[in-house]
Amino acid sequence: MFEIITPLFLSLIVGGVFVGIVFGAIPGMTATMAVAVSLPLTYSLGLENGLALLLGLYVGGISGGLVPAILLGIPGTPSSITTTFDGVPMAQRGEGEAALRIGIVSSLVGGLISLLILWLFAPTLADFAIRFSYVEKFLIIFFALSVMAALSSDMLLGIFSGVLGVFVSLVGVYDISDGGNGELRLVPPGTEYWLDGGFALLPVLIGLFGLAAILEEAERGVPSAASSDEIAIGKSSSFSFSVFRGQTLNLIRSSGIGTFVGILPGVGGSAASIISYTNAKTFSKHPERFGKGEPAGIMASEAGNNGLTGGALVPLLSLGIPGDSTTALLIGAFTLQGIQVGPLFIGNNPTTWNAMIFAMLIANLVMFAMMYFAIRYFALVVTVPKHILFPVILMMCVIGAYTINYGIMFDVWTLLIFGVFGWLAVKLRLEIAPFIIGFILGPSAEVYFVKSLESFGTLSIFFTKSWIAVVLWILIAGSIAGSIAMSRKKAGQVADPS
Amino acid sequence: MNITIDFETSHLVFPTVIGVILAILGLAILVRDRRRIAAAGSYWRETLGWMDKKRFFGTLVLTLIYFSLMVPVGNFWPNTGYGFLFCSVPFVFLSGLLFMHDWTLRGIIPLAIVAVVGPTFVWWLFTYPLFLTLP
Amino acid sequence: MTITRRYLLAAASAAAMLAQPMMAAAQDLPRNIRLVIGSTSTGGDTYQNSAIVADALSEKLGVNIKVDAVGATEAFKALDRDSRGTTMMMFHDQSYLGNLYGVTGYDNPFENYTVGPTVAINPGNAYLVPKDSPYQSMEDILAAAESGERVRVAIQPGGVSEIGFSAMKNAARLRSPGSEENIVAVNTGSQSDKNQAMWDDLADVINGSIQANEQFTQLPEDDQKAMRFVWVTARPETLEQAPAEGMGDTTRDQLLQYAAPNSSVPVNEEGENFTFDKEFFFLFNQETPQEFIDAVDTALAEIYEEGTIQERQKAAFFIPNYLPTEEAQQHLQDKRSTYEEVISEISGDAS
Repeated sequence: MFEIITPLFLSLIVGGVFVGIVFGAIPGMTATMAVAVSLPLTYSLGLENGLALLLGLYVGGISGGLVPAILLGIPGTPSSITTTFDGVPMAQRGEGEAALRIGIVSSLVGGLISLLILWLFAPTLADFAIRFSYVEKFLIIFFALSVMAALSSDMLLGIFSGVLGVFVSLVGVYDISDGGNGELRLVPPGTEYWLDGGFALLPVLIGLFGLAAILEEAERGVPSAASSDEIAIGKSSSFSFSVFRGQTLNLIRSSGIGTFVGILPGVGGSAASIISYTNAKTFSKHPERFGKGEPAGIMASEAGNNGLTGGALVPLLSLGIPGDSTTALLIGAFTLQGIQVGPLFIGNNPTTWNAMIFAMLIANLVMFAMMYFAIRYFALVVTVPKHILFPVILMMCVIGAYTINYGIMFDVWTLLIFGVFGWLAVKLRLEIAPFIIGFILGPSAEVYFVKSLESFGTLSIFFTKSWIAVVLWILIAGSIAGSIAMSRKKAGQVADPS
Repeated sequence: MNITIDFETSHLVFPTVIGVILAILGLAILVRDRRRIAAAGSYWRETLGWMDKKRFFGTLVLTLIYFSLMVPVGNFWPNTGYGFLFCSVPFVFLSGLLFMHDWTLRGIIPLAIVAVVGPTFVWWLFTYPLFLTLP
Repeated sequence: MTITRRYLLAAASAAAMLAQPMMAAAQDLPRNIRLVIGSTSTGGDTYQNSAIVADALSEKLGVNIKVDAVGATEAFKALDRDSRGTTMMMFHDQSYLGNLYGVTGYDNPFENYTVGPTVAINPGNAYLVPKDSPYQSMEDILAAAESGERVRVAIQPGGVSEIGFSAMKNAARLRSPGSEENIVAVNTGSQSDKNQAMWDDLADVINGSIQANEQFTQLPEDDQKAMRFVWVTARPETLEQAPAEGMGDTTRDQLLQYAAPNSSVPVNEEGENFTFDKEFFFLFNQETPQEFIDAVDTALAEIYEEGTIQERQKAAFFIPNYLPTEEAQQHLQDKRSTYEEVISEISGDAS
């Protein structure tokens, strides 16, 4: 296998990781886009070299998302939403650099653990994953949705926001390619032309987090100071590896969750970091610190979303079914070269398989090295005066929204609609985090819920389908009980200030 | 608990379920927060009172104009991305001016440079190396 | 303030100067063309095929062609908006099948757009059963339906994935009227959903493709994922052109065993067999200048004459299939009326 490891192979990984990080770090541009635009290049590069580039882009793109999530509060990719919860408060406390380092180390751990799982157990896990029918998949989504309660400061408003997010995600057609019947619903008369496809995720995301934040700043008159005064990141901030003490379990658990969620086709990458984040919160000794700048929260989120990278490759390479939108593009790279991916892939193509594992390993290490030593340069972004930074961010949001679906102008309008909505929501005390989680998970929740009933014809199937369903119900019950206990505790603290 | 779902109408099942939950939650909020909701009028007056109206509405209006012009301008030169380029330069410059507090040459010159170089670089990057369509 | 105004004016006039020569440079053939496709996936067959054709065409015509995976509805909208020939569309039989099945967002392409040349076929449309299924052939399936057994078929409704299913129902009706009621659709989405429906025992037969499912047919019978082809819908003459080694471990000769006439799904009383090839073709706005369409046609004719594009297409398991605009329109119209008949024969009980 060593004959494939050429200088070209290695430099493609390094180049891929670098470009991937840049894509991930710019709000509005994603790992998926980086892989999509590079796909045609792989035709001339050959399979192994092409994969080296794409996997580098994939790992870099998923990891780069943590930078704007922490420094600007804008998740660079949907899977880094949960990184903003604790990353932003840390950055505001002047611990931005520490937060970045924690995120990067956790990303590496998540990436490596999931790679190990991929390497050792891919076919076995794929066989396990196909035991998840519509019912179990719905319960996984429901489990991820049940965290909305835990994420909100006011439970009633938080759940309302989350359900509203689900509701808004259903606007448009019930997508045929997801198994729907292609009929329109929730579309006001006269708007069918624009709304038939509903609202796209990325424009909604950057509208809520990017444009809304800029509108809030504008409302406050854009305090003239350079952002660095608020988000101090200087050398003074303290970081030592001791923050990881006592977090081994959290890191391993989050990486494992990320990997496993990645393995389930159709559940989606964003659920990975959401589920690991809530798990970390539920099992933490100090759940009340989450959302206020708790390092363990960043660890869970970043280990979770990088855990996805190895996980999403499991169904791709052992069933020919992509685990997320980025790996869906990798199929194209294989078919371009006339290679079939399916249950026989690993056995038939040991060289390619080893090359992929090796490329992922190098990509993770390169990602770590690049990001860890580039922190100082990332930090420069916050020294840019706001009157220059904001217009440029807005422009990047526009370009991201326009290009994500290859040139649909309505996506740019979506950005504006949800920018205004995000600003308004804060005024109405709605909560953005549960809203976006509901929005992301809504479409899969619908398909799996409706298909479960369509196929089995009874509500009791959700409890009786399999032992997996029972385990998932226990997890859901635990998550809900945890949130209720915590809100009681919070209420108790308010009532009794001692 | 037997349920038969007709595929023809299955697109309404989940929206109905979610809609009902949403309505119940909304009602619960109305009841619990009725005082706060009743006071909404004064809350908004207050908000509008202290808000920097020029910058807030200025941003909204500029963004609206920016988005509206991009496609018509781009239509003069189909599929070249000039619509994006020619609209982004003034947008970045004008919104920068709007956000800037003291209009000094020392402040405006860097902004002007960014307003020209930024969109041009991004336009070049997306049009040539990335080969993506811009308005 | 005055400074800013002056700067603004200067910037505006500079932009105007910059723009002038570009307008002058515009020629008869648009320099920058957008090829929108009916799929949102850049990893799928529509994109791959479009990329191969766009590359060749762009080189031949000396213009830029960008392939944009905007999906069917958005692609039709983009085509509607642009009559200058700067937007073209590439799609396959779904464009009229979606209309025949009454899917939201699909108009009749022959009435609302100009159908252009065809370029390739994806011969992979297939139906599969679990490896341990009692059904050995389409004959078994139709016989089962006749004897009152319910046969559940997993498809994605409203197009390419459903047409073979409609043909099955129609064949059952021809064989024994009423028995088509026993062939029922399990409506699913992606290929992964269809496979999963089989593994969950929600479907007896699934729609799939040679490319995506061939490896599952090579698994040992005791593997719960193992499948077997029962029907490949391609015309035998299409499959004849596929590489002899076929796909994976299934040779072309083996594939031919699953296609008509060996695996027969009659389409009418005369016993003609139903076939379906997924053909990729261009679509234009109706007001697109004829010279432009002619230019594309001529360029494609030359490209196919040269013969290198065929190699690229075959390497990606496409069957080269160039028909100039007029022939393509006739051929696709005929195809459409056949399918329209099949669908109308079974309508009322089609789900």
